[in-house]
Amino acid sequence: MKPLGSKLLACSVAALLTWLVLAGASAPKSGASLQPTKLIILSTTDVKGKTSPCG
Amino acid sequence: MRAQYSNLLLVDNGGFFPEDDIHLPVSGFLMDAMKLVGTDAVGLGDRDLKLGLAWLRGEIKHTGLNVVCANLYDKATKKPAVLPYVIKNVNGIKVGIIGVMSDKSDVGPARDSLYLVEPSAVVKSAVAELRKKGATVIVLLSQLGKIESEDLVTAVDGVDALIVGRNVPLIQTGRMIKNTIACYGGEQGQYVGRTIVNLGPKNKMTSGENEMFILGPEIPEKKEMADLVRAWEDGFNAMMSRKEKEQAATASLSDSTRNAPDHYLGADMCIRCHVAEGEQWKTTHHARAWATLTDRHKDSTPECISCHVVGYKQPGGYGMNSTGAVMTNVQCENCHGMGTRHDAFAAVDQKVSETACLSCHTASTSPDFNFAKFKPYIDHAHKESELPPLSSKTPMK
Repeated sequence: MKPLGSKLLACSVAALLTWLVLAGASAPKSGASLQPTKLIILSTTDVKGKTSPCG
Repeated sequence: MRAQYSNLLLVDNGGFFPEDDIHLPVSGFLMDAMKLVGTDAVGLGDRDLKLGLAWLRGEIKHTGLNVVCANLYDKATKKPAVLPYVIKNVNGIKVGIIGVMSDKSDVGPARDSLYLVEPSAVVKSAVAELRKKGATVIVLLSQLGKIESEDLVTAVDGVDALIVGRNVPLIQTGRMIKNTIACYGGEQGQYVGRTIVNLGPKNKMTSGENEMFILGPEIPEKKEMADLVRAWEDGFNAMMSRKEKEQAATASLSDSTRNAPDHYLGADMCIRCHVAEGEQWKTTHHARAWATLTDRHKDSTPECISCHVVGYKQPGGYGMNSTGAVMTNVQCENCHGMGTRHDAFAAVDQKVSETACLSCHTASTSPDFNFAKFKPYIDHAHKESELPPLSSKTPMK
């Protein structure tokens, strides 16, 4: 993942969309373990029922 | 991410219930969605108990989600009300995930059947149990807020990664607290935290790092899930629309303009005299604000309406208007104030201040908002078409 930082557009994106991005990412091919010495924890918190921006 | 890293753990730290009761129906939908995308564990915040323990247990059973909270107990059994922790095997790495919430929390309608205990002793005990069961990495989903969470991992050894929630400010880069890497904040699903746990011999943590990422439109949506979200939102909007109509049918709209000395009048009234300003306004995004809601079927979604109309539920404004004036879009009175106060406003040389914008262009809805940069687009001295296009930089979401 590249740092997104200030490049990002003004946007409120739902947690669900967060998850769907993660879910949509492709799995590694042939069962190879990529970067086996790292555990990556992706987290959301306090979603507060938000699903997507207003308009 | 899965293309880059194979050892991936997906967690939600809790607090996923909405803050208001109107949106409570979304809670079950969110749990279904979390399961659908493969969330490994979900923490609990006090809000998440709003519908009671029986409802929560029903949803846990229905979804199969691993909902964890180690210090929430069932009064009847004196046992944890949900799983205190869970162990996930991530490509041979045994990861223990513990949840805690503040023992000062109000557990809502479940207060007769639940109680909370002080979290640090519970976490200490859970860490020991998890280590015995072979967990080499331990993650704490904490709904204790910033200070209490930091104090806990300072006092209790063995937590490798800390996800901090409950009114926590967003901190772009997390930090190490003794031997624990901490991840802070980012609410309403706008941000995702990425915590990297570097592993040494026997899959034990040697170091950690964390960064928060805002999820903008560059990151594509998965169509199936986007469709699912849209379908739910459309249903909610339709339900709110039906409720509004039912209320209108049972109670005739009070004449708010008659009862309130000051009230909104609508742009048509202003434009009778301020013709040039009205023509310029018609070229702006503000004059098309309502269409952005109708396009997305959010025109009956309460938290969206107020920033796309004039005076939502205020005298003479949208939803309280018996004069027949059209009050959709962001009009003259959103910036200049109620038309009935015209004389006072016109008596001195007043300019629209940034404060007027910030009630809608918040850090959440409009993170790139810059008053100096965007003001020319609404300034009556310019037509929007004469300015560089706003292009993909959407000023308001």
